[in-house]
Amino acid sequence: MKIRFLAQTILAGLLVTGAAQAQTVTVMGSTALGPIVKKAADDYMKAHPGVQIAVSGGGSMTGLNQVTSGGCHIGISDVYATPDQDKAGVKNYNIVVQPFTLIAHPGVGVGNLTAQQAEQVFTGKINNWKEVGGKDQKIVRVIRPESSGTRAVQKKVILHDQDFSKNVLIQDSTGAVVTAVATTPGAISFVELEHLEKNKARVAGIAYNGVACSNEAVKSGKYPVFSFGHAYTNPAKLSDPKVKQTVDGFLAFILSHEFQQNVLKAGYLPVDYVKSLKTKL
Amino acid sequence: MEAGQEPPFAATGAPVLQHSRFHRLSDRWAHLAFLACSLLVVGLIGGILFFLASRGLAAFWPVAGNTGRTLSLSEVFLSTDWAPSSDHFGIVPFIAGSLGVTGLALLIAAPAGILTGVFIAKLAPTWMRNLMRQVMDLLVGIPSVVYGIFGLTVVLPFVSGTWLAEAPASGFAVAALILAVMIVPTIVSLSTDAFESLPTSLDEGAQALGSSRWQAIWHVLIPAARPRLLTAAVLGLGRAIGEAMAVQMVIGNNPQWMALMRESTDRAPFLRALFTPAATLTTELVQELPNTPAGSPWNNVLFAMGLLLYLLTMVLILATRRLGRGKEA
Repeated sequence: MKIRFLAQTILAGLLVTGAAQAQTVTVMGSTALGPIVKKAADDYMKAHPGVQIAVSGGGSMTGLNQVTSGGCHIGISDVYATPDQDKAGVKNYNIVVQPFTLIAHPGVGVGNLTAQQAEQVFTGKINNWKEVGGKDQKIVRVIRPESSGTRAVQKKVILHDQDFSKNVLIQDSTGAVVTAVATTPGAISFVELEHLEKNKARVAGIAYNGVACSNEAVKSGKYPVFSFGHAYTNPAKLSDPKVKQTVDGFLAFILSHEFQQNVLKAGYLPVDYVKSLKTKL
Repeated sequence: MEAGQEPPFAATGAPVLQHSRFHRLSDRWAHLAFLACSLLVVGLIGGILFFLASRGLAAFWPVAGNTGRTLSLSEVFLSTDWAPSSDHFGIVPFIAGSLGVTGLALLIAAPAGILTGVFIAKLAPTWMRNLMRQVMDLLVGIPSVVYGIFGLTVVLPFVSGTWLAEAPASGFAVAALILAVMIVPTIVSLSTDAFESLPTSLDEGAQALGSSRWQAIWHVLIPAARPRLLTAAVLGLGRAIGEAMAVQMVIGNNPQWMALMRESTDRAPFLRALFTPAATLTTELVQELPNTPAGSPWNNVLFAMGLLLYLLTMVLILATRRLGRGKEA
């Protein structure tokens, strides 16, 4: 039995390596965008037998870095490329829209923050909920680590590029952030809208400038806190015409009307919702 | 059997094993196989060390593959300012964090573990001794993420709900407590062994001289087992300092904790520090290493932190061997 298992493992291993040698398009980067891109890859491979698309994680920065150096064909990222990477010739595709919302521990007694209040809460100018009309309770800022894409979005949109307060609690993943906010009195954080919807019983949403985050509010242009999910390619490194064809076909498929309807189910919005809007991200 | 006597089976005419060609050959093959395995293991360990060192030291030398500036040793090892996006790479908060949280954990776990060891080895009835040993061995095998989840969802809300209505409870205190719970089984197992390996004559002698149970334990058994108890503590320390998962879930992971402490006007700064979100070498590595671009100063410094952790663990292992050899009779 053991020998048969071993043989099967080796065979499977060989098949995988074999497939990797055939024209595999590799996608790397953001773990947040991973699932939706993986879904697109599965659909695309079903429609195009013989095409292999491998999606792996590593984080937004890794995705951008790898696609710039030619380490993968498509890099997916929550943030824009750095000026250096732009100079290297990477090409940006906005593939989905990601709405973000402020969340807080249910007992803070505040349901809305103005843009200025939200900024001052996270830069450390406001330290108690009573300063913004809530309970007399210390504000506990829960944020993501410095290399996180969500944090980059938050820094840009909410803090207008100022530094975060030094008095913060840092959690590694959105799941851990939600748990921390739910269990820490006075906690506030910033997450993707879908994580608020999944955890409505544990955490409270906070409106921004009087508008609560929702797909409709983003679509109508009333709610400005969102970012794009990006896919990057580096045309200079796509020398193999067959690979290039698959890459182009795959990106066109993600942006197609057909697939963009699927992104709604995954907590994103189709890109054409906000095509007419001006945005900083 | 006395020297020079014929082996009995030769006398009874049983077949003596021949050192045939085949046996000599298989002997040689076995030798080669063992050698190959040990070389492989040594090679792997050496390879990992080389990888860590080459990536970590790249922070301080201009090497091919570096995408940013070269850092000086002092701005990394002597600075408390960690803000990689703003080009500050001081890792003192992480070193202090690692030493602080493991030191605190050991302060809780070592006395508890050693006294439990005495209880299991010398005081408990046989059935309880067997049960306790098995439970301790089971506890050693629990994955650390389980301890982390327990800390995050039970201990933290309990502490902040009970004593600290205003602050998050994340920080050294809860992290050290979770770590202590994690390493107690290791310390208990090893110190139980230490006490069991002591000759019973020590115990009996002390009691014959009229000492009470407590006096015998305190004045005879613990001093006699000291080298092995120290080994147990250092092994626990080794497990604690390398732990990432459980700690990062409860400590709060704030690299700016030292700057925050300096700015604080609290009247009880030490107590405050226990409940201030802080960070350690391992927690920072686990959070940032996968997401930073290879070759950047940020990524290189993280590898340097990994190298430092490796060296710290190495020192601990060497210390363990030294202590283990120690004064043991």
